[in-house]
Amino acid sequence: MLDGLYSAASGMAAQQRELDAISDDLANESTPGYKSQRVAFGDLLYSELDDAGTTTTTGAGAEARTIGRDGAQGAFIATGKPLDLAIAGAGYFQVKLPNGQTGLTRNGSFGVDAQGTIVDAAGNPLQPPISLPRGVSPEEMAIAPDGTVTAGKRTLGKIELAEVPSPDHLLAAGDGVFEANASSGAIQPAAEALIAQGTLEGSNVDVAEAMANLVTTQRGYQLDSSAIQTESQMASIANQLRP
Amino acid sequence: MDLGLFIASSGMVAEQARQDQLSNDLANASTPGFKPDESPKHSFKQVLLATSSGEAAAGSLESGVGLEGTYTDMAPGAIRQTGQPLDFAIAGEGFFAVQTAGGTRYTRDGQFTTSAQGVLTDANGDPVLDQSGAQVKVGSGGSVGASALGVFALSGAHKQGESLYAGSATGKASGTVQQGALEQSGVDSTQTMVDMISSLRTYQSGQQAIQTIGQTLQQAATQVGSIVPG
Repeated sequence: MLDGLYSAASGMAAQQRELDAISDDLANESTPGYKSQRVAFGDLLYSELDDAGTTTTTGAGAEARTIGRDGAQGAFIATGKPLDLAIAGAGYFQVKLPNGQTGLTRNGSFGVDAQGTIVDAAGNPLQPPISLPRGVSPEEMAIAPDGTVTAGKRTLGKIELAEVPSPDHLLAAGDGVFEANASSGAIQPAAEALIAQGTLEGSNVDVAEAMANLVTTQRGYQLDSSAIQTESQMASIANQLRP
Repeated sequence: MDLGLFIASSGMVAEQARQDQLSNDLANASTPGFKPDESPKHSFKQVLLATSSGEAAAGSLESGVGLEGTYTDMAPGAIRQTGQPLDFAIAGEGFFAVQTAGGTRYTRDGQFTTSAQGVLTDANGDPVLDQSGAQVKVGSGGSVGASALGVFALSGAHKQGESLYAGSATGKASGTVQQGALEQSGVDSTQTMVDMISSLRTYQSGQQAIQTIGQTLQQAATQVGSIVPG
């Protein structure tokens, strides 16, 4: 009795999950290197009701989860700042997180800390670390497409880009930084990615598509709520039976 | 006891089950490749009514109504372009095959991803199979050609949840795989809402019938044979 009440409620929860992902995408529309989420809907288990030789199958509703991110390249935005870096192709910058793990990010908005070390927007140093010698300003620094960092005739180091076999399974560690794990596979050098200096990669959020998805999601939520109301009305009708 | 009571209540039970299925359909209005369920009603066996003397048959009466099993409407749904390289849709008949812990299962939901081992998997992490039953490798740059995926014809398909179907494959199906697209849910929300209202009202009629028969029985129990003064 009233299984439908719960399957409709699961549908509302799934649409809510999709709405959260769309909101996240829209909020990060201006975040450099942000990749929009892919949300997968699926149905839930089916129960079979045998009655007088016929089998009626009823599903338990729906679920939604994020199964990864859209890998499409974001637009290049020229900023002219020496430590704004964009990656062309599949790959990530490597930074050292406070917990000692290697973080992966496509947000190439870097800066220099008090010690002259190149750090990301959250203050995590590049890995392997690169420091500017005393007296060298970031403006004198040149970064080649292969990641080699030079100041004048001196080579300061090389920014090494990395990738993983399954980027969809990377764990978000906040601030646009991701961590590798068993499902994503181990970090390996990025073969085909190149670095562009003085440029940021914009997010790949398509606002028009996100808005269209928002409308569909809201309507789906409404439909499920109507189903709950109908189920409730049926319970109320059954309740009105009096001996 | 009055047969009508049980006939009306069998109708209410059938409508309740139908309503639960409609709720499930609506919950899956956004599930790629979802196919809605149909449950036609059928009447129970006819019973012969005898005359009060018990000798001659007075005619027959249906003894109620039940659901005649569940059918899944397998008509191909509309295909929506998503531009995602790992989204696939089957135009026409057929199913993708995935290798689950419980054996090979089939799905029309082509929203796939990659595993750490570099093979194409579904949202549950189960490897997708090609036409020969082997896992599909993801090439460098994370791309897979649409022709690498197997499309199978399925007999005895029945739903298992998680967008999967069980059944036995009977070779290659006629459908073709499209990349960067998803098959939309087959749920027609307008039709489902109309079905829901119609089912609700049928349910309400059953309740009214029970109410009326109940009143008749009450009168029979309390008023028949009473002596009216005057």
